[in-house]
Amino acid sequence: MNVVIVDNGGQFTHLEGRALRDVGVSHEIVDNTADPAEVVERADALVLSGGPSIEDVGRTPEYLESGLPILGICLGHQIIARQLGGAVEGGDHGGYADVKIHVEEDGGLFEGLPESFNAWASHADEVVELPDGFTRTARSEVCEVEAMQHSERPIYGVQFHPEVSQTEHGLDIFRNFVEVARGVHERGPDDPAVSS
Amino acid sequence: MVEPEEFVPEAIEEIKQQMGAEGRAVMALSGGVDSSVCAALAYEAVGERVVPVYVDTGLMRKGETAAVEEAFGTMESLRVVDARQRFLDALDDVVDPEEKRKVIGEEFMRVFEQEARDADARYCIQGTIYPDRIESEGGIKSHHNVGGLPDVLDFDEIIEPVRELYKDEVREVARYLDLPEEISERMPFPGPGLAVRVIGEVTEDKLHAAREATAIVEEELEEGGYDPWQALAAVVGKGTGVKGDNRVHGWIVAVRAVESRDGMTAQAIDVDWQTLQSIQSRVTGTLPDVARVVYDVTHKPPATIEYE
Repeated sequence: MNVVIVDNGGQFTHLEGRALRDVGVSHEIVDNTADPAEVVERADALVLSGGPSIEDVGRTPEYLESGLPILGICLGHQIIARQLGGAVEGGDHGGYADVKIHVEEDGGLFEGLPESFNAWASHADEVVELPDGFTRTARSEVCEVEAMQHSERPIYGVQFHPEVSQTEHGLDIFRNFVEVARGVHERGPDDPAVSS
Repeated sequence: MVEPEEFVPEAIEEIKQQMGAEGRAVMALSGGVDSSVCAALAYEAVGERVVPVYVDTGLMRKGETAAVEEAFGTMESLRVVDARQRFLDALDDVVDPEEKRKVIGEEFMRVFEQEARDADARYCIQGTIYPDRIESEGGIKSHHNVGGLPDVLDFDEIIEPVRELYKDEVREVARYLDLPEEISERMPFPGPGLAVRVIGEVTEDKLHAAREATAIVEEELEEGGYDPWQALAAVVGKGTGVKGDNRVHGWIVAVRAVESRDGMTAQAIDVDWQTLQSIQSRVTGTLPDVARVVYDVTHKPPATIEYE
């Protein structure tokens, strides 16, 4: 199985690679201008990295149509929201360094995790309206939508950074995503039984 | 985590491949763990065909030059260059941090270019690690030892043995190679050195304050039982003080101590009051032109570890 990390210019993109390496899955990093057909061919799952600006996301929105399991991180999460019918705006309160994440929905990325844990964030904007078909799975005191997932398709977004060393259970989150992706990969993407 | 037992033989083989059958390589040795590991790997690969060059820019930490001479003195090809005045002159009137990095990078290149010519070197080895590459590509810092330097010098090849590694992984390799603890555990130190630990123009008096205060911070934190990823003192401004009965308008020194795994993110350490006071007392007591000491509580993000 191969996970493709789409690089939106974030400073932690390589750490996402490191996390996947530590979870034991093959991965590669591609620029967000890569041809969607090529990306889909090489990937069994996608991670959309963070980055400095939502105006600078290359062809990332096109990869969302691929039907692959997707994990969007920070800007990646915001791209998913905006592209699929939600809204992103400047937050009242930026989130930097520690935030306490409160899990609202078990399972998915948070399978086996405690109800709350510390994570690190680095963002000024946030998702203010969930995209169609998504539910909020975690929140914090400084940000209402810390995590979301589609109710049927394997698409997830997290506003915080599971790939940095200070985020508790960061590696578990990657592990859970890889588990979901493996499940989809084994059953085949068109299997109607596929769910998160 | 990268496994040193796998990484080391591969890295040595790669250096041999890149350097072919003959020709010498110069490499910039800073005394830090990254370049030291590269020197050790290169020496294993090609012996005296590697010419390590240590440039004393005047921006190094207290005792650093002597430490390098001691650790690498047995390598016959080692060259130590005293370029202190050159760098200070080049930095005259430069206040913008990006400009400082650019000036230092360029001056370093000129010194290095001369050494490369003298050594008749066809190759250049650099201790660039992964975060250096990301932070330069992402526009966070322009200096890092990436591009610029060897581009102009027309080497047959630029060799970067540790480019895929994070700092914690380089340390593992250093320990595996049995490098002295003083090197494997050495705190990260920025390329432009103390120039980015003084706000505004780089002058000898500010450098002196940053150099001495940094040494005090490193010592006192060790005394206090701390083991930071990085700790430093920086001259961040000017403020009033009263010493003896004299009004002083002296430097404000910021103390920074952070924990980190890989330098990409970091937490400010909760240093106990007594240790902070020991630092404050020694810094203001031994440095006449320092008026006060502050402690930086900001994490990375939103700050960076260094000040410029």
